[in-house]
Amino acid sequence: MKGNGEIRIGFYICHCGSNIAGVIDVERVAEYAGTLPGVVVSRDYKYMCSDPGQDLLRQDIAEHRLNRIVVASCSPLLHEQTFRRAAEAGGINPYFVQMVNIREHGTWVHDDAEYMTGKAMDLARAAALRVYAHQPLERKQVPIKPDVLVVGGGIAGIHAALTMADAGKHVYLVEREPTIGGHMAQFDKTFPTLDCAACILTPKMTAVRAHPNITLWTWSEVEKVDGFIGNYTVTVKRKARYVDEDLCVGCMECIEACVYKRGKFDDEFNVGLSKRKPVYIPFPQAVPPVPVIDAGNCLHLSKGKCKDTCVEICGDRKAINFEIEPEYQEIEVGAVVLATGFQPFDATRIPYYGYGKYPNVYTALELERLVNASGPTGGTVRLPDGRTPERVAIVHCVGSRDEHYNRWCSRVCCMYSLKLAHLVKEKTGAEVFNFYIDMRAPGKSMEEFYNRVSTEGVHLVRGRVADVYAEQTDEKKTNGQIGRVVIQAEDTLIGRIRKIPVDMLILSTGLQPQHDSEDIRRMFNISCSAGGFFLERHPKLAPVNTFTDGIFLAGTCQGPKDIPDTVAQAGAAASEALALIDRGVFELEPNTAYVLEEECSGCKSCIPLCPYTAIAFEEEKKKAEINEALCKGCGTCVASCPSGSIRQHLFEDEEIYREIHGLLAYA
Amino acid sequence: MLAGEEVIEQMWGVSLDRLYESAEGQRILSCIQCGTCAGACPYGEHMLYPPRRIITMLKAGLIEEVFDSDSLFKCVNCYTCMTKCPREIKLTEILLPLVKEQSAVRLEEMPAELQKAIENTYRYGNSYGESARKRAAWIDTIDVPIRILAKDPTPVDILWFVECDLSYHPRGQDAARATALLFHLLDLDFAILGPEERCAGDCGRLSWEPGLAEALVDYNLSIFEKYRFNRIVTNDPHALDAFKYRYPMFEFKYKTTATVPELHRHLDRLAPMLSRKLDYLVTYHDSCCLGRHNGFYDEPRALLEAIPGVRLVEMEHTRENSICCGGGGGGMWLDTWYKQQDIERLSDRRLREVIATGADVLAVACPYEVSRFEDAVKLAGYEDRIIVRDITELLVEALGGH
Repeated sequence: MKGNGEIRIGFYICHCGSNIAGVIDVERVAEYAGTLPGVVVSRDYKYMCSDPGQDLLRQDIAEHRLNRIVVASCSPLLHEQTFRRAAEAGGINPYFVQMVNIREHGTWVHDDAEYMTGKAMDLARAAALRVYAHQPLERKQVPIKPDVLVVGGGIAGIHAALTMADAGKHVYLVEREPTIGGHMAQFDKTFPTLDCAACILTPKMTAVRAHPNITLWTWSEVEKVDGFIGNYTVTVKRKARYVDEDLCVGCMECIEACVYKRGKFDDEFNVGLSKRKPVYIPFPQAVPPVPVIDAGNCLHLSKGKCKDTCVEICGDRKAINFEIEPEYQEIEVGAVVLATGFQPFDATRIPYYGYGKYPNVYTALELERLVNASGPTGGTVRLPDGRTPERVAIVHCVGSRDEHYNRWCSRVCCMYSLKLAHLVKEKTGAEVFNFYIDMRAPGKSMEEFYNRVSTEGVHLVRGRVADVYAEQTDEKKTNGQIGRVVIQAEDTLIGRIRKIPVDMLILSTGLQPQHDSEDIRRMFNISCSAGGFFLERHPKLAPVNTFTDGIFLAGTCQGPKDIPDTVAQAGAAASEALALIDRGVFELEPNTAYVLEEECSGCKSCIPLCPYTAIAFEEEKKKAEINEALCKGCGTCVASCPSGSIRQHLFEDEEIYREIHGLLAYA
Repeated sequence: MLAGEEVIEQMWGVSLDRLYESAEGQRILSCIQCGTCAGACPYGEHMLYPPRRIITMLKAGLIEEVFDSDSLFKCVNCYTCMTKCPREIKLTEILLPLVKEQSAVRLEEMPAELQKAIENTYRYGNSYGESARKRAAWIDTIDVPIRILAKDPTPVDILWFVECDLSYHPRGQDAARATALLFHLLDLDFAILGPEERCAGDCGRLSWEPGLAEALVDYNLSIFEKYRFNRIVTNDPHALDAFKYRYPMFEFKYKTTATVPELHRHLDRLAPMLSRKLDYLVTYHDSCCLGRHNGFYDEPRALLEAIPGVRLVEMEHTRENSICCGGGGGGMWLDTWYKQQDIERLSDRRLREVIATGADVLAVACPYEVSRFEDAVKLAGYEDRIIVRDITELLVEALGGH
């Protein structure tokens, strides 16, 4: 306490209306606090966080030459910053303020007035003793790098990238597939307006490629992330495409010229409903319009033996290059927007829905491709045997709302199921049965869309499908026709079991986190919610932030949502990232751990314990070194250091011991 | 879909009015009325109150009306509703038995066949009404030494709980002989209770006579206490259920398994003994208790595939989606009653799926199934197209030189 001079503490207890004063006898606590060592002013006040409350602090600092403040009120999470600012305005170091939480830890959980008044006194005593030992601390500033990384090139990533690029920021957009566009590019029409997905998406895709502020890396993946807010160093692996993006003119002649005369391998974009060649472009409007060569199936790359007709036709352009190796790019960015999307539920996991067993059972995504004019059938909905289905069933909630699979409602399935019902009916005239549990149509124009599809004559059956099996027919089918499947469910509204034979069954599979979302989570050091979607910092008030500063979320990687909400969230993530970058600097909380260098033995035991990878080993000095920008002040290293050479600002031993001493003094 | 120990704990002593006091009971409140239970139930279409409606009636305070209906007479305890329920409500474990009991209490007249079976079990410890002394008579028909614990009470590894059907029914005895021979060849250390054994009581519990079930549990526990053994193996999956999920409520602590998984454990030694080629196309019918309730889907199939020449073919409904033979939950003794109600027996329905596979042999692993399916085969006139065999019988047939 040397150099602190005389300690003069001001104590304030807040009524918080009746929140606190309704239980605690605040006058008695204030009176008691006035008797504590060093306390020169002790008051109770109706709302300490109000402007007059803060003014009171400032006046007292000036009038009574206060140099320490204790406020007994709500949780520091709510108003610690408020009172620190008030103290600073009054002319003292903001870290000379200590809060006592008597609301969340007190009156909200206890109703015994006598007991709670006593507990408030104990906590007040502990705080007054603690604040006595507080040291002045300074907030340090870290400069923020101006560039941004967007991971994932679906509609969320595209929108976030364009927004930030339009604001003049340089954006790196990294997409692991050969093209941007994501799931939206695979959809046919979009609910509730029924506008064509490609028509509204492809202009934005082209804009990304044309934007001078966007560096687009497709067929690329983030490999490594180092650093901290404002200063991330990211390594991106650019997988070998074997077609040079700078030299390719997008003529697609190589695809035509490939030694495979027709497609032989499952076309990922058409979810296996068609075949592609080893050199391919996912779809005609792909961005960039550059083919990719699938090394596992290309004869030159897998067998080393091919006539190389693609190279021949490319000729002088020399865009095809089998020598291309994966490339690693290191970039420095100030903020990251994660827009890594979702994957559909794997329908084979529910064996009694017959997916993979019967050829006429489809997933919704497969249907999107079938109804799409640029899909494998040119937009004709037909069965594998070529017939047009006369009766079609659509099963909602496949894999969703189910304790065995995904517990959540996937939010988009009701509406996309109605959309598919409409499209199938429009294209085939088939009788369509939608089996639903609850029809969920919240959001603008959704109920109206539900109304519209209902009046089109779609049969809406309220009941979860319990069984799907092949229809037993007496006569032997000899003409190669695919048999019907029977959909068995209780129609809960009439209380009867219905067995409806259909030609085609569509499974409305739910949304779930990407298979490798756990790897991404670990790489960017963020958290996941129970289901595995990335966790936002606050479900209402910080929906696009994560617990790691400078990492933002957009789209379905955070949870199932439709296209309008995805775009809105992408815009929000972009503006949060812009707000951070435009500030130029980031202020660090000073409650970080620090190493007493002369005492550190260099044992390295603290390094693996740090959850924020904030500790490095300084090879030259053979000492541990803590990065203040990464340290969150959790105290793990402080407690674990065998030589006691790590300490923490605002949690110095003396402060903590005095607080404990104060707490236990009643005994 | 295995019931864990916490479910056992919570089921004990639960009555309808205390249902929501346990976590498993509270799950009922999470029901979303999706109708999966009713749609999946093999007799759902014949029930005025399938499980979904029972839950709504319960919540609305109208459960008394359900007690007056015969809906749950059609519940065969096949665990299908419970397996598919998206809220994981343990219908077959918790709710349905309680409602069944009440329905039985209000019944003016018990169906005669079931009444007789229950009385027989009370009086003789088996539903056949056979004398307890004859319970081990079958062992004289086989040339394998079988130890009866009362005669030689030295400690033994496996207490083989033979159960009623294998003890008394002529086709059950075939499986008993086959099992004894296999255990003997595998050099397992086993013994039986013989005349001291009584029905394990699972069907009593699940077919509306909890008092009978408890009497049998008390009795069998008192017999178990007399001897020293490490574990119980039984051919009857219903007895397995009783020992795994009911007896532990009464401080029963022995490890129990069924014959099929026990034989599967020794497959590496058993397979080389199977030297005789059986040129059969076989389809396997999953027993509800062995499959859905205890997860043994692969073991019976692996045993069948170990037989040289056997080719397996699956039915339309298989594994967790299999259809019950109709024998559980008292269904074994309700065939006449079902007929009076003009309801098709499940074994007859299931047989159509068997025939559709084109198989020569229907393999089963539950003693109810041999008699039920052989009856169905006779009724449908398919005797020249299909034969029904317990897995142990097929294994013995494949033994060749042994």
